[in-house]
Amino acid sequence: MTAGAPATLHRLRQAVARIEGQQMVVDPAHPLLPLGIAAIDRHLQGGLMPMSLHEIAPATAWDLAAASGFAMRLAASLAQTRPGGETLWVQTGFAAQEAGGLYGPGCEPFGLSVARLLILAVPRPIDALWAMEEALRSRALTGVVAELPNDGRLADLTATRRLLLAAREGGTVGLLLRHRASPLTSAADTRWQVAAAPGEADRFGGLGPPAWVLSLVKNRRGATGRWRVVCNPAASISGSAGRSAAIHRVTGDRHAFAVPALSLGVAAAAADRPAGAPRARAG
Amino acid sequence: MWLRRLPTDRLARRARAPDDDVPLIVVEPVKSALRVAALDDAAAALGLSRGLPLADVRAMYPAVRVREADHAADRQLLEAVADWCDRYTPLVGLDPPDGLLLDIAGCAHLFGGEEALGRDLAARLTRQGFHVRLGLADTPGCAFAVARCGEARPEMRMVPPRAQRDALAPLPLAALRIEADIVAALAQAGLKRIADIMARPRAPLAARYGTALLRQLDRALGLEDEPIVPRLPLPSYVAERRFPDPIGRHDDVLATIAQLAQDLCAMLERRGEGARLLQVALYRADGKVHRLEAGAGEPLRDPRQMHRLFIERIAVVADACDPGFGYDMVRLSALMAEPLMPEQSGLDAGDDRAALAHLIDRLSARFGAQRLTRPLPRDTHVPERAVAAVPAQAVPDAVRLARTTPEDARSEDARSEWRLQDSLAPLRPLRLLAPPEQVEVINEVPDGAPARFTWRKRVHHVRAAEGPERIAMEWWNMEWGSDGPPVLPRDYFRVESREGLRAWLFRQDVHVTDEAGNRTGTTLPRWFVHGLFA
Repeated sequence: MTAGAPATLHRLRQAVARIEGQQMVVDPAHPLLPLGIAAIDRHLQGGLMPMSLHEIAPATAWDLAAASGFAMRLAASLAQTRPGGETLWVQTGFAAQEAGGLYGPGCEPFGLSVARLLILAVPRPIDALWAMEEALRSRALTGVVAELPNDGRLADLTATRRLLLAAREGGTVGLLLRHRASPLTSAADTRWQVAAAPGEADRFGGLGPPAWVLSLVKNRRGATGRWRVVCNPAASISGSAGRSAAIHRVTGDRHAFAVPALSLGVAAAAADRPAGAPRARAG
Repeated sequence: MWLRRLPTDRLARRARAPDDDVPLIVVEPVKSALRVAALDDAAAALGLSRGLPLADVRAMYPAVRVREADHAADRQLLEAVADWCDRYTPLVGLDPPDGLLLDIAGCAHLFGGEEALGRDLAARLTRQGFHVRLGLADTPGCAFAVARCGEARPEMRMVPPRAQRDALAPLPLAALRIEADIVAALAQAGLKRIADIMARPRAPLAARYGTALLRQLDRALGLEDEPIVPRLPLPSYVAERRFPDPIGRHDDVLATIAQLAQDLCAMLERRGEGARLLQVALYRADGKVHRLEAGAGEPLRDPRQMHRLFIERIAVVADACDPGFGYDMVRLSALMAEPLMPEQSGLDAGDDRAALAHLIDRLSARFGAQRLTRPLPRDTHVPERAVAAVPAQAVPDAVRLARTTPEDARSEDARSEWRLQDSLAPLRPLRLLAPPEQVEVINEVPDGAPARFTWRKRVHHVRAAEGPERIAMEWWNMEWGSDGPPVLPRDYFRVESREGLRAWLFRQDVHVTDEAGNRTGTTLPRWFVHGLFA
């Protein structure tokens, strides 16, 4: 079996399914990545597309840490889909100086083990794109996050298309973290904007878990939306303390704030669950 | 090998229009008078010799060109030639100020015999503009003597094996590399040739003139060993290719490296080893050598992976590596090799850890091993030092962790999940600013949490705060003044602003010093932001 066989098989299956008029068949080796929140997962038709590129940008310059946290959370979930999965975080020198470098012990609350993290410091943004493409194409990693300073002008339609193809070939998920939301069109599957929101106090009166407002600005396979979520550091899905309430489904441009907090708990290793098992609801 | 006219050759090579007719001499100050240090052939033909004062030379021949001596440049040129001679044998030693010693014991057959090697070497060096004289013998001492002392022609003198005695006999004593005053003392005693010493009893010679004389004689005759100290480390495995017509194109060089990688891997496989450090040496036709190195985190034996490593490496240095007239020899050597057991990979395409090691090697070859790091925790409380960025190539353990079976890896992940849920561990920010940036803070209580802070020209109102967490600086790492530790501890606060920005601030009290630099007893608080939480 050649190394490119699984991806080819998946593509053939999809082509056959399309010809036969069925829905898209999910490759069991690369399942969709659910965020653990029912409302968002419904918008994403089950979860984030595997083997593709997703973009994350902060709403304002002060929300960059929140956007990094969201990217880190996604990377941690990806790392858990495969035993021994490693993540690469690519940073340019300028980005590290302006917004701070990635700090190892700060990744632990998101579920990413520091032993499985590789950090690459590149001199220029074009090197960051090159490194991301190489890393996506090799089958060695589960997730690659690349930070582009300013608005990442270099990651335009052609560059993101290349990254998407590299991700499909290597079976990895690429997360492009821009420092500023950019109006450029891109070939990414989904585009998120993250803003920090005031969180709730924990039971001692101190700072509770971080809260974000996630806006799904572009979604290739569904509608856009906006939600306020809370990232519980180390709560399992079944044991989270959230309140459930009716969630307004938003379509198009009309945004409605979902009032109660939905929690983005640490997902159990997906390898344990057969595809299609009912997922425990969070919050 | 003796480069007879090294200083003048160096100057003549650099001159654009070679002036063969005008003699050139190099002078250096000896005991506060300028004396001739080196001359070229034209000056020697005029009858000048070393040691003549410059004033005399100018008086006799006013048209002679004079230059200052530059020993550092001569030495550099000698080393460059030594590096180039690496193509014949890896054992090249310097014999300053203007000689080289090459050990061609096992390499002569590659060039068609010792004489052919010597002639090739002499021809190439002459083409590069050097005047060279070669001596070939069983021992370095004999070769030195034969090369330096003797008639001008032929340019290469070969001493048949085990015939050192006959070759050395008629040569003067200075050829044995002994001190000039011992040579003068022996001349006074009437001993001028090596044959005179060889015939005499040894004990009185040793008593009168020291043991160095006899040791050099023994070394020259081969009774004692004299090792050559090679300049560059000896590689374990070498594969090379010579081109009668020099190549210069980028693609040709890469294709050659691919073929050499195949040969090298065949050699490695026979011994069951893998290469950790590879070097490609490109020998230019005009004498310059370019060397490129690439390392691997784990022993490597796949020719395609080696080829890819050098594609990245050459892409980085493509501008600096100018082929000039072309490369006439390309050599791939494995400088460091480690045992590598062949492993049975699974039937499915799950060879992730090898792919990961290869990706790490390629990214390190492209950007440098220091840029791709793993954050490893260090045993210290100080936040900026708590993480060591270790080059990923140097941490094979993390890759070997992935070698465990999927069950082990899953249980290890589960164990780390339990560890992550330790809620008593203090939280650390996701991004750390280096260095911490100073902020203006307004707080209600001097020691308490901030109520408002101004950072990067924007005012943030604090909605909730946690802290303080006191982190003391390590007293064992700092120098102490006479009145206590110079750096006071920091009080860290986790604050959240009204907009949701979460920052890690700390307050540090700084000693107040007056103009003389002495400490007054008071301290002033200063606030910094050190990191940002998600």
